[in-house]
Amino acid sequence: MYESLALIMAAAHIAAAIALLNGLLTTFGQGKIVAAAIESIARQPEAADSVRGTMFIGLAMAETSGIYGLLIAIIMLFANPLVNLYLQQIP
Amino acid sequence: MDFTVDVLWVWHIGGMEVWITRTIFNTWVLMACLVLFALFVRLRLHTFRDRPRGFQNAVEAMVELFDTFLKNTGGEKLMPLSPWFFTVFAFLLLSNFSGVIGLRPPTADWATAFAFALGTFVLIQVMGLRYRKGAYLKSFFEPNPIFFPLNLIGELSRPVSLSFRLFGNVLSGLILLSMVYQLAPVFLRFVLPAALHFYFDLFIGALQAYIFCVLSLMFIRGAAE
Repeated sequence: MYESLALIMAAAHIAAAIALLNGLLTTFGQGKIVAAAIESIARQPEAADSVRGTMFIGLAMAETSGIYGLLIAIIMLFANPLVNLYLQQIP
Repeated sequence: MDFTVDVLWVWHIGGMEVWITRTIFNTWVLMACLVLFALFVRLRLHTFRDRPRGFQNAVEAMVELFDTFLKNTGGEKLMPLSPWFFTVFAFLLLSNFSGVIGLRPPTADWATAFAFALGTFVLIQVMGLRYRKGAYLKSFFEPNPIFFPLNLIGELSRPVSLSFRLFGNVLSGLILLSMVYQLAPVFLRFVLPAALHFYFDLFIGALQAYIFCVLSLMFIRGAAE
């Protein structure tokens, strides 16, 4: 019985690691946002304030998918519904 | 690891169990701080001057900061919302900063973040209906009535994404810090957490409080115009 529980736990940890892999693309997108913002600030230094404000909003928008992955990983590790389901079935 | 929300007391009110969790208790503490500050400000301002000086000047600068922020980001129409955003920003900022002194930030519980996002959701609908009336309801059926389910899902996902953004940022900082406190070698527990607290609690906390307000305002403006 503990072997199947170990299998579920191992799968949950691998799933959490895969869910965190979306940080790759999120960070890539955020890097592109910051690169474009720096470019436009270098071209128009007098518009730096408004560009910076817009950049932070864009960064927050792009961060959302990374946060979703993080929450999935946290749920997988600490509040896994499958483990609870399995433990309920054991008398 | 001690980043879970533990239940402090269970009250029995009228046959119902009311769980007083650490989040609720910390929220009360922060609310007491804000209310005491507000009372302090009110008592200090009994000598109101037309030409502000000293303390009155600082308080008026804070209020004016939010008035200009609302005017620049939201436009003249949304100016009456300035007190609401001041309140939300003050509470979120204090709650994100409270991790520095060892309290568990209330925003690291999804319930708190979702409550604020729900407030934003209600404001979006109310402002949209108030300023655009029928045109706002019609905007759900554009560009084609077939898109109504998509528009509805997009509208309903706004408070969820707004609250997840705040909650995920604060919770990840909390988890990382509690791991550092428990797993790092003893000599690292004195210097490293200070730098991490500065980044995760002060920088990310202030940034997320600001972004929550800006995004809410942009959503409301999108509905009202």
